[in-house]
Amino acid sequence: MDQLNNAFTLFLSLLVEAIPFLLLGVLLSSLLLLFIDERKLVAAMPRNPFLGALVGSCVGFLFPVCECGNVPVARRLLMQGVPVPVAVGFLLAAPTINPIVIWSTWIAFRDQPEIVVLRVVFSLAIATTIACIFSVQTDLRPILQPAVLRSIPDYKTSAQDLGSVLLQSGNFLLGETGQPIRMDATILQGSLSATTANKPLNYKLNLLLENMVQELRELGGVLVVGSAIAAAIQVLVPREIILSLGQGPVASIVAMMVLAGVISICSTVDSFFALSFASTFSGGALLAFLVFGPMIDLKGIGLMLSVFKAKAVIYLFALAAQLTFLLTLFINLHVS
Amino acid sequence: MSAKSSGFNPQSKKSWGNYPYWALPLLDAIAILAWGILLLKYWFTGKLNLLIHPDYFWLVIVTGVILILMAVIKGTQLFRSVQQRSAARRLGRNIPQPTTMNQHLTLFPPGWSGGLLLATAILGLLITPKVFSSQTAVQRGVTDTVTLTRSQPQAFRSVTRPEARSLIDWVRTIDVYPEPDAYQGQKVKVQGFVVHSSTLPAEYLTLSRFVITCCAADAYPVGLPVKLTQNRDAYPQDTWLEVEGQMITETLEGKRQVVISAKSLTKIPEPKNPYYY
Repeated sequence: MDQLNNAFTLFLSLLVEAIPFLLLGVLLSSLLLLFIDERKLVAAMPRNPFLGALVGSCVGFLFPVCECGNVPVARRLLMQGVPVPVAVGFLLAAPTINPIVIWSTWIAFRDQPEIVVLRVVFSLAIATTIACIFSVQTDLRPILQPAVLRSIPDYKTSAQDLGSVLLQSGNFLLGETGQPIRMDATILQGSLSATTANKPLNYKLNLLLENMVQELRELGGVLVVGSAIAAAIQVLVPREIILSLGQGPVASIVAMMVLAGVISICSTVDSFFALSFASTFSGGALLAFLVFGPMIDLKGIGLMLSVFKAKAVIYLFALAAQLTFLLTLFINLHVS
Repeated sequence: MSAKSSGFNPQSKKSWGNYPYWALPLLDAIAILAWGILLLKYWFTGKLNLLIHPDYFWLVIVTGVILILMAVIKGTQLFRSVQQRSAARRLGRNIPQPTTMNQHLTLFPPGWSGGLLLATAILGLLITPKVFSSQTAVQRGVTDTVTLTRSQPQAFRSVTRPEARSLIDWVRTIDVYPEPDAYQGQKVKVQGFVVHSSTLPAEYLTLSRFVITCCAADAYPVGLPVKLTQNRDAYPQDTWLEVEGQMITETLEGKRQVVISAKSLTKIPEPKNPYYY
């Protein structure tokens, strides 16, 4: 009973800490939908895979969101036709490469500035590399969820090739031209954002609220499930089991990466958490936590599955894990 | 909610069941309202400090207010649209359903996500968050080092009179300068809860406090051993004590360390703010 109550307190504390950031992410994502002419933003994105990956990784400076908030933004960017490398780079790097997170890491590791610098450098390197790898795949169908795919401008025609729109399930509206429009939010948003730029402000604000409620509800549901799992594991698995793994240069990195995945802590505050291990864990292990955690964690995987197919998420996960491991192992063996 | 679709797609009936069109938006609005109320309730009842670090309070409060505003606006809109429709129906006219977006992400069936959020908020309103106890302290391992607190150097007060130091001040001071003999004979007056460490002899207890850096997920215990003149069973685990005495050096668990030699132990009520930050 005591354990249960502890788990519940942990669960609620994760939620109470995360919901403000989720709201901020949802707000920015909705603002992006309604008030920014995304066609211009999309058109400005470089088509070159490497440049695209690099630019995408740095877009986080424009949208300071943590990993609770970056998935909706990445999803929206993809649906607006941003090249995949840009979106993947953004997805992986935005939670780390943004002013708020760099600032909080600086506060936490003031006496070890190399941690702050290396966190940024490694995140940028890993995100750019993975984004470049994803750019090799030109056919998006095996990567993206059908709902996202359908609303990508370039893919609309191929989606209709699958058969008459009316044969699909869902709700429909008769459009202005007499063509049925499927009442699917992803499609609706795809067509809306192209047309909302010159609608009255009142209408925009209504859509903003509507969109925020939708995203808050869906992402909030995922957050609840993720936090519940994270809290349960934290209470059920004794911390010393995870900590006792943390001595050797290899074991400590693996342990910290597992912890990062399990604990699902927001990237804006995770450096404070990592600081509590500063005395017991190697510098490489701390970096592994700070680099890997914002990219992949339990609650994030649920969110990512709303954009990517399971196979693509597994690739993202495996690549991020390996690259983090190799880079931080190098630090452990050759630097510190 | 969604556009009337019977003409086009008979399947849509299945996914919406027999709910009236306003049921799911209403659920959303109530769930968001409940979360707003929950966040503000934690603030008003002072329970927020059991969950997160005070530095982030303003975030939670602002969020609570925004959530309630969102829910109220949403609810008003919904109420108006229901009124309009019933008025139109009385006049025998059929107006189209409000066209809003639905099925944003398809991870959950309709209604589940909102239901989950609402259920969590209701549980949160019913169950009071608990202060972590000795059980968690033992599980997380009480330490007498606080590397973590280097992030708050302003809290380091080496000039304080020894008896004015709190438990965390002591742990921080010892962390900076660990030689036990340096503190020999200094007066101590600290508050904390009792943990019985299995590695210490029966006449020692560990006086502990939890430190929070961001939220309860990273709460970790710090503590100092206290030497008693009797068996520690007189002071059961989780009892809150104010211990007065002086510092001595002893070798415990094969390690020379600072120990509080207790002169008086007073039972105190659990402090309103049981954690250190």
